[in-house]
Amino acid sequence: MGLNYYQIKKNVRKARKLVIKGTTAAGSGHPGGSFSMAEIIGCILYKFLKYDPKNPLWEDRDRLVLSKGHASPGLFSNLAVAGYFDESEVEDLRKLGSRLQGHPDLRCPGVEFCGGSLGIGLSFSIGGALAAKIDGKKHHIFTIIGDGESNEGQVWEAAMTASKYKLDNLTVILDRNFIQQDSYTERIMPLDEELIGDDISEMWKDAGRWKVGDKWRSFGWNVTEIDGHRIEQIISAIDSTLQTKGTPSMIVARTIKGKAVEHMEDNPKWHGVAPKPEIAPLIDLELDCQFMIAPSIIAGDMTNLETEVRKAVHGRADYIHLDVMDGVFVPNTTFDHTKIKELRPITEIPFDAHLMINEPVKHVQNYVDAGSDIITVHAEVCNESSFGEIRDILKSNKVGLGLALNPQTDLPSWSYKFIPELDQLIVMSVVPGKSGQKYIETTHEKTRKLAKTLSDKKFEGFIEADGGVDLSNAGACFSDGARVFVGGSAIIGQPDVRNTISNFRKKILHARRKLLINKAYELGGTDLVNKWIDLHIIGEKKNELIQIAKEASYV
Amino acid sequence: MMVELKDMRTAYGQTLIDIGEENPNVVVLGADTTDSLKTIGFGKRFPNRFFNVGIAEANLVSIAAGLANEGKVAFASTYAIFLPGRCVDQIRNAIAYPSRGDKKGLDVKMVVSHGGLTVGADGGSHQQIEDIAIMRAIPNVKVLIPADSIAVSKLTWIISQTYGPIYMRMARPKTPLVHQESQDFKIGKGIIVCDGSDCTIAACGITVKMAIDAAESLKQEGTSCRVIDLFSVKPIDSILLEKAARETGCIVTCEEHNIMGGLGSAVAEVVSESYPVPIKRIGVQDKFGESARDNEIPLLLKKFNISSVNIVEKVKEARSVAR
Repeated sequence: MGLNYYQIKKNVRKARKLVIKGTTAAGSGHPGGSFSMAEIIGCILYKFLKYDPKNPLWEDRDRLVLSKGHASPGLFSNLAVAGYFDESEVEDLRKLGSRLQGHPDLRCPGVEFCGGSLGIGLSFSIGGALAAKIDGKKHHIFTIIGDGESNEGQVWEAAMTASKYKLDNLTVILDRNFIQQDSYTERIMPLDEELIGDDISEMWKDAGRWKVGDKWRSFGWNVTEIDGHRIEQIISAIDSTLQTKGTPSMIVARTIKGKAVEHMEDNPKWHGVAPKPEIAPLIDLELDCQFMIAPSIIAGDMTNLETEVRKAVHGRADYIHLDVMDGVFVPNTTFDHTKIKELRPITEIPFDAHLMINEPVKHVQNYVDAGSDIITVHAEVCNESSFGEIRDILKSNKVGLGLALNPQTDLPSWSYKFIPELDQLIVMSVVPGKSGQKYIETTHEKTRKLAKTLSDKKFEGFIEADGGVDLSNAGACFSDGARVFVGGSAIIGQPDVRNTISNFRKKILHARRKLLINKAYELGGTDLVNKWIDLHIIGEKKNELIQIAKEASYV
Repeated sequence: MMVELKDMRTAYGQTLIDIGEENPNVVVLGADTTDSLKTIGFGKRFPNRFFNVGIAEANLVSIAAGLANEGKVAFASTYAIFLPGRCVDQIRNAIAYPSRGDKKGLDVKMVVSHGGLTVGADGGSHQQIEDIAIMRAIPNVKVLIPADSIAVSKLTWIISQTYGPIYMRMARPKTPLVHQESQDFKIGKGIIVCDGSDCTIAACGITVKMAIDAAESLKQEGTSCRVIDLFSVKPIDSILLEKAARETGCIVTCEEHNIMGGLGSAVAEVVSESYPVPIKRIGVQDKFGESARDNEIPLLLKKFNISSVNIVEKVKEARSVAR
């Protein structure tokens, strides 16, 4: 509990990898539904849930009820990451004598409910919530239900009951991934509206068509609709449900089945099928290859940064990159923490504050107080002692920790000991100080070397490419090892920010596909390349993969 | 001779209040039948421990499971036809399955009324004649069928103090008393209501009285019957049954339930393995019941061949092939 955005993100990634490990070892299981709820369960467990792995039945713990029990690999993996048992135990999934049964079972510590026969968990949670009310207990009940599960009439019996008893100690999250065992939910039993035609991949993006929240509203629930893969949105929604009095809360989290593994995404086939052992290493690599887009707002209108933030929000940016320049460390001056504080209410998207200032240790608390989610300071103006102090301030305030390197700076040896704790390393590919410069080509080589060094030194964070990154080089930066992409003039400077961000993602995705095809060839030659390609049956992915494989003469 | 008739549900409702006074952990749930089940009295006395979830039985038993999971002793009550008859999945997976160490299943007491044919007027659709078979087949669940209001009171107390999922079936009509107030009840132990050596009659619920009547009538003819109230259908008293088989040489069972999977099946399972003797089973012959007004209920039972007269016949048949 109480972890920050970056820690949650890393834990979720770790848990996803364990899901692949477990289901691959078992040869069966449900990765699809485990991945659609990965961020949801991650935020509940690592941010909100009060629990004690050493004392799983601690009376005052919050309860996490997984009603859609077929996603048990997702639950078990997160319980392992949370410390209930050793991570290696996930390999016992579904094995004879294992605590990790095919569906959640009380013999596994941390499991609160034997879910799997669908439609029961919400009623069961109501029992728990009523018991807490009788006993005057303050703990909260978090329940995850599925959209296929919502076909069950009992869900709606429970919906009425929770409302009748005003169970404000109950928060339910609907994992709205639009897929159930046979097909898309709107084909089998529409929760929103009947699906006409074949336009399936697009339909979940159209918020105007989500109606299921209104069903819950009509039952008297406090309802919030969010993007269920956006950690900041989940956190904000749960924060608000915990303040709600007098009604139960429903968070409709729009998710993607199989999220984070391209061939599983939006593909009903992956509801209940495990990956083949030869494919597992590729998936594992893919899970290491998540990437984020961080528009830098100083590339826009400096007199109206509010508008620039809104453009980034509208463009579905992952972070808002905030370049703080003091006119001393760098020749320019941009803004300081007071501006960040003003911008903070506009969005819950993480603020990625990049402090290009002298003596950051003196100022870092101000940037914490202003609402930064991660604060990155420059190696050139830190030493072991001051960076240690910065680390302590940020950790105690649950803010992400970043270190930045100028083009001429190498990773200082004093920084090595901090590497496992770093959430982010910014590799500057222009001399910092102003927007609109050209990418320094030698940075590619530098990033590749850094990626290797970092990985040897147990780095779990993300490398952020910053400076002159645009559509022409973003793919190459990804191949170097960068996972966060700061775009100044190349994004915020463009007339259509949303479209530009989408194009960035396509470019980087292409590079990622290439990386994975290369890996497939390395591990299993043409045969594995073909197998990998054949898994990608949804959308345009397959054609692009074939093209990549042909260009590389793998097929 | 007029026998005093007493209502099982009234006994149940009153006992719940008594238990509620002593045990603050007891909660009671109903599904729009709380007036009929007489649990409403508990609700009035302890409103914060009483939940009427409406006509939603799956919800009823699952919420009871959630309460029990938090350490409550949860009594969930409605008509038999709507509880095992409707909620076998929820009973199995939410109540019986969840186990923590030695605690097998959750502490939910499923106490129903309107079991069997004696529902009468509501008709075959509402006469639950499969519940013993259903509940008996679920691991960790105990099945009790009290014969009168004394048994109901005593067993309600006992189950409130016995951990685990328990199903208890009451009958709709008022029933004659067959036990004394002083009678001891133990889950898993049958009660020898009257002793005899020529044949054993094992019954449960309203058929215990029929068995006693049959035994008396047979006594006039010189046949001595041992009548056992096997109110604890699961766990069943296999020691007592083996002894009865050994000492009386044949057994007749009688129940207000389908002939498949009920009391007769349970007795046959035990005896055929421990000390095989001829067994004749009385019950509904694998068909559904039908409406009968209150004054016609004896006729309804007779139509389905469940009566003391039928027991007498079966005892004679059994004795003719006795070991």
